[in-house]
Order: sequence, then C-alpha cells, then structure tokens
Amino acid sequence: MSFSPLVEQLLESLRVLPGVGPKTAQRMALHLLERERDGGRRLSQALTEAIERVGYCERCRTLTEEIQCGVCQDPRRDSALLCVVESPADMLAIEQAGGYRGQYFVLHGHLSPLDGIGPDDIGLDQLEARLSRETVSEIILATNPTVEGEATAHYIAEHLVGREARLSRLAYGVPMGGELEYVDGGTLSRAFQGRQPFSSE
Amino acid sequence: MTPQPAYLLHKRPYRETSALVDVITLEHGHIRAVAQGVQRAGSKSRAKLQPFAPLHLTWIGDGDLKRLRMMETTQSAVLLAGEGLLCGLYANELLTRALPVGLPTGDLFAIYAWTIERLTRPAERATSLRRLEITLLEALDAEPIFLETDDSPLDPSTRYTYVAESRRFRPIGAQHPGWDGRSLKLLARGDWDASGLAGLSKALTRAALAPLIGNQPLRSRELMQRLSQRRRQGRA
Repeated sequence: MSFSPLVEQLLESLRVLPGVGPKTAQRMALHLLERERDGGRRLSQALTEAIERVGYCERCRTLTEEIQCGVCQDPRRDSALLCVVESPADMLAIEQAGGYRGQYFVLHGHLSPLDGIGPDDIGLDQLEARLSRETVSEIILATNPTVEGEATAHYIAEHLVGREARLSRLAYGVPMGGELEYVDGGTLSRAFQGRQPFSSE
Repeated sequence: MTPQPAYLLHKRPYRETSALVDVITLEHGHIRAVAQGVQRAGSKSRAKLQPFAPLHLTWIGDGDLKRLRMMETTQSAVLLAGEGLLCGLYANELLTRALPVGLPTGDLFAIYAWTIERLTRPAERATSLRRLEITLLEALDAEPIFLETDDSPLDPSTRYTYVAESRRFRPIGAQHPGWDGRSLKLLARGDWDASGLAGLSKALTRAALAPLIGNQPLRSRELMQRLSQRRRQGRA
C-alpha cells in the first residue's frame, strides 16, 4: 500500500532535511497529520515566511529578514573590531561563547581550489568595500583551523596588506577539561608553540 | 590487507556523515574511497583525516570506489601555512587531476611526502614542486624527451617550442621567442635545480602537464597568481 499523493508529496518534501530518510519522514508526516495539525500549520507558515523573507544582512552577510541584522544595528557593539567567520553557525557559536563585543563578517564558505570555490564565491569584494567605508582597527580571522580555513585566512590577510587594521587569528589550544594524553598531535604542538606566560593572579 | 601508508589529497562531504576521499598510497597510487561517518560531529577520524598528515589506511572493494576501513595517523601533519599551504593545495590538486585511479606510481608517493615537508621552507618550494611534477610526468610516461621532433639531438644555438603530442621539441629558429637549446640541454642532464633555469623548468613542466589535466585550469594556481598579481599592484 502507498499513501495518497498529498501525503507522499509531504514525505518526499520532508526528506530534504538533513538526517531525514524515508522512515523518519514517514514518522514526522504521520505525527503532524494525526496528532499535531496546529503545529504543522505553524511550521508551514514559519517555513513559508522564512523562505520568502530571510536574506543576508547588507553589512555582515549573516541571515536576517531586516536590511541589517541585530548585531550590526546594535550601537553598543565595538565597530572597530571585525571578526571574519565561515558561516552564520560559527557567528552564533562565538556569540553564545560570550566575551566578544565587536562586529562580524560572514563568508558563507571557504576557499577550496579543489572544489572550484574561489575568492569570488566568498564575498571578498564586499569585505573590501566595507573596510573602505568603515574604520576597523583589528580584523580577527576566525575561519576554521582546517586546510581550507587556513588557506582562506592567508588569502584574506594577503588581500588586506597595506590597510591599517591589525590582523589576528584565533589561537590553537587544548580543550577545556581535556587531557593532554588524548589531544591530537597537531593541536598539542601548536598549543605548545602558542603557550602563554603563567600568572597565578 | 596490511595498512598502506597514505596521504589525503582531497575530501568532500558525501551524504549526511560520510566523505568521498582521494588519497595517494604507497603501493596502489591514487585511490578514491568513501570514508563512512567521518563528517559526524565529534568523530575522532574527522580531525585525523586531514591533508598533509601521514596516514595508514586499509580499505575494501574491488571497483574504482573503495570503502575505507581503518585509519591511523602516525605523526602529526606537516604544519603548512601561508604560501606553503597554497603550494600544498596545488600539489594535491595536480595529483587528483592528473593521476588516474588505481595506477601504481613508483616513487611518486615518496616524492610527494618529501615535497610537502619542503614546502614549509620558502626557498625550497619551487624546486620541490618541480621535482614532484617531473616524477608525476615520469609515472605517467609523459615526461619531455629532449630531442627534436625528428629525433635528432637539440642544437644549443637555436630556439624551440614544446610539442605536447610527440613530447619533443620543434626548432623555430634563433630569432623567435622560445626556449633556447643550450638551457634545454642542461635540463636534459637532470639539472632542474640549476640557477637561472627555474623559469624554464616551470614553463616546461607546465607545458608537459597541460594535456594531462584537461581544459579546466588548476584553481590553486589561479589563486596564487591572483595573489602575486595583487602584491605587484600593491607595490606599484
């Protein structure tokens, strides 16, 4: 037996979500139709609205339905600090970690020559235009510590040579609560190179 | 199978939590495989399976696409940064593009390992990349043959162009811009590192590699060219 066309269509559509296979899609669809019609209605409204209205912030390129996102509009944030990240999820992670009060720029990816992703695909023109408009004293290159993330940081740094802004890169370190024995060699050797003066205050 | 020494050349996400990987191995050359579960958040293999890190791998499967079974790292990855990293990406892109899957490649693995070690030192980047390119050409039986197109020896006083199809050189007279026979004869003796020949050996390996990498340009080379162009503009 197969479901009616509309239900089948719903199953098919649910499978665009990450981690959702045929079984999960079926469970979700039956749950919405049999027990949670209100929730389903809210879901479909929220989905339609978000897909229609959410775009990129014109200043930092994160996801927002406004012209500028909340962080960019916030006058208490330090606009002399600019943190360059690969994705909106990275930006959120830094925000949740707390302690950073500057601005952001989201690349939506990283340079990956072997996948054909070049400088034009990660909004570097927009970053340059922004740096020409605004005074920034420090640019924090917070791309991932992967080969592609490092290459991206290097490329951006080379691109910005000659500008006033100071460039910095996130430090490598041993994770909190981690044990040296189990930390991978690369992280450990970089954490060793980047060791800090000890103070017991 | 006994674990094979290997290096990851390229990894791209496949399905939810897996990755398609290109690796170069000691005895089996270029292998393409599915690495299951490596993209899962918190996967231990995720951090291990990185380019420029010496790996030991086993896999199963008879077709062109294998399935990775076991993976271990022996030492930590070569710490490439900046331009050295871009050179490393170039080496990886070149091998993934030019090497057919499953062709045993002789010395190429050892030369690759030797090359990426040397990319950390700016002065040795160009010569080690040339060495890798020449070993690659030899592995594919595509290295230049230092003879004229009719198999007569090169004349030191004339100039030549490279003919990719016959892998030989065609004389174009002493007045035309081209490669001079005297320098080519030096390269023929294996003096690829000789000072003053860096430009020539770079151009020649590029001409010899061109038919092997197809129509699409190498993106990592473009990236380096854009940066150096920009550096020149900045200075001007």
